[in-house]
Amino acid sequence: MSNICTICRRELAACYLSPVAYVTTAIFLLVANATFVVGVLRNLGGDEPLPTLLFNAIALSLPILVTVITMRLFAEEKRSGTIEILLTAPVRDVEVVLGKYAAALIFAALALAPAVAAIFALDWLCPGVTLADVDPGAVLAGSLLLAAQCAMFTALGTLISLTSPNQIVSGIACFLAIWLALMLGWLLSLAPGVPPRLAEAVAATTHLEDFARGVIDARPLLLYASGTALLLFVAVRLLETRRWAG
Amino acid sequence: MIDVENLTRHFGRTVALDGVSFHVARGEVVGFLGPNGAGKTTTLRILAGYLPATAGQVRVAGLDVWRDSLAVRRRIGYLPETVPLYDEMRVHEFLSYRGRLRGLRGARLRRRLDETIAACELEDCRRQIIGRLSRGYRQRVGLADSLLHEPELLILDEPTIGLDPHQVRHARDLIRRLGQNHTILLSSHILSEVELICSRVLIIKQGRIVAADLTENLVGILKGNPQVIVEVQGPLEEILPVLQKIPGVSRLSGRTVDSWHRIACECEKGSDVRPDIFRAAAERRWTVRELRAERRHLEDVFVELTAEPPEV
Repeated sequence: MSNICTICRRELAACYLSPVAYVTTAIFLLVANATFVVGVLRNLGGDEPLPTLLFNAIALSLPILVTVITMRLFAEEKRSGTIEILLTAPVRDVEVVLGKYAAALIFAALALAPAVAAIFALDWLCPGVTLADVDPGAVLAGSLLLAAQCAMFTALGTLISLTSPNQIVSGIACFLAIWLALMLGWLLSLAPGVPPRLAEAVAATTHLEDFARGVIDARPLLLYASGTALLLFVAVRLLETRRWAG
Repeated sequence: MIDVENLTRHFGRTVALDGVSFHVARGEVVGFLGPNGAGKTTTLRILAGYLPATAGQVRVAGLDVWRDSLAVRRRIGYLPETVPLYDEMRVHEFLSYRGRLRGLRGARLRRRLDETIAACELEDCRRQIIGRLSRGYRQRVGLADSLLHEPELLILDEPTIGLDPHQVRHARDLIRRLGQNHTILLSSHILSEVELICSRVLIIKQGRIVAADLTENLVGILKGNPQVIVEVQGPLEEILPVLQKIPGVSRLSGRTVDSWHRIACECEKGSDVRPDIFRAAAERRWTVRELRAERRHLEDVFVELTAEPPEV
């Protein structure tokens, strides 16, 4: 456990010592909140609940955030060769993966929290909207699902970062994979022969809309939790493949 | 301390190591030599637990490098050839992080940080950002990293590569000091270094160990006879027959520069003809300004053992 914390602390320090962290957070907040505000203004007088607009706006920018955070996790260590000193230190592969994953997740949470909190500044941002329109329970439920989705996408990014020593390649692959995960339900619903219930079960955007209305369902949470665990498990195994006889 | 038996490593179809076996006893300082691409770095990476072997057994301190990987890694200090470091960190932050990964905490971590920083003469750049350090300082930071946890075995891959002569001397002295209470396996291209630091040498060529012996024994196995060089002033037509008659001298060759005859006397193995040459010169009142046995160097052994056969 202490090795996970040590690696996590170093990763966070490396993140926040470079301007990339601040630029990424700023761009993410700008894009997510601008999309949200535009959505609110277009919906003035409409029936779309404010939390739904908020979480849709955030989900749209989430792939960029997660990609930028995770693409360097292992790719950078491979490029600079520091992976050699990391993996010859007395740390388990699972500790390396979890340490880096935890750092990426904390970074993502620190960027997502103000993006969600922006809903409580709506009356200042959008004249004509009052905070009485915002249901705190729905915001909390939406945040819960957003956290679960972010956890799974970050695990996906961590896994992809392990596959390439090139940050750009792993970044592009990660971005596409997250979009695919977000759109999976919609793509399946278009495919012939796929049962609608299956498409519905993996529809990330529908899950978010449900939670943003305050409908908490354990099944999507279980889906993202098990997806996260599976992806991290594969990541650890992938790191272990270097130990396989050549 | 290190037991390697029939170590084999393939990279695809390329055979990087082909049945390598050697043993390093506790407390030894062993040089690991070989031409580029001979398999030095691969062997050291396998020992450090970074690469797996295709076949064979590698044990460090009696523990299998793969089965007891964590226990082995705790006992090893490893300096890779490229000295990879986190460029954005400061020296003390980096060493502190690496110490924590090795389980050092609190007062012990602080003590070891101070000790290794002093031993590697890094006090001046303790708070500097690693990315701005010179090659020599980076090498020292890497060495400090490998020493932090007081490992029993140090594996150093080209520890003096890229250093200027002062830094090389410093690194050599440091490694020599470390050799007093550590087992060290180091690879190097600078053979004079290895000759000075290491008591024993392993030479690898095309993935096979071609020599493993004490440094002086290796020099002794050289083909060709020993030579004695004499620089003498006197009548050459008299000198050459006298030298030729000395028992043990088999062949003479030489040249004359400014009335000094520089003569190389090829001798039979085991004979030392220097006293006889001196006496012959003294009796005939020739002036001798140099008389020495030509020392064979590790470099000669290395070149002889690793030379490619001429293409036919």
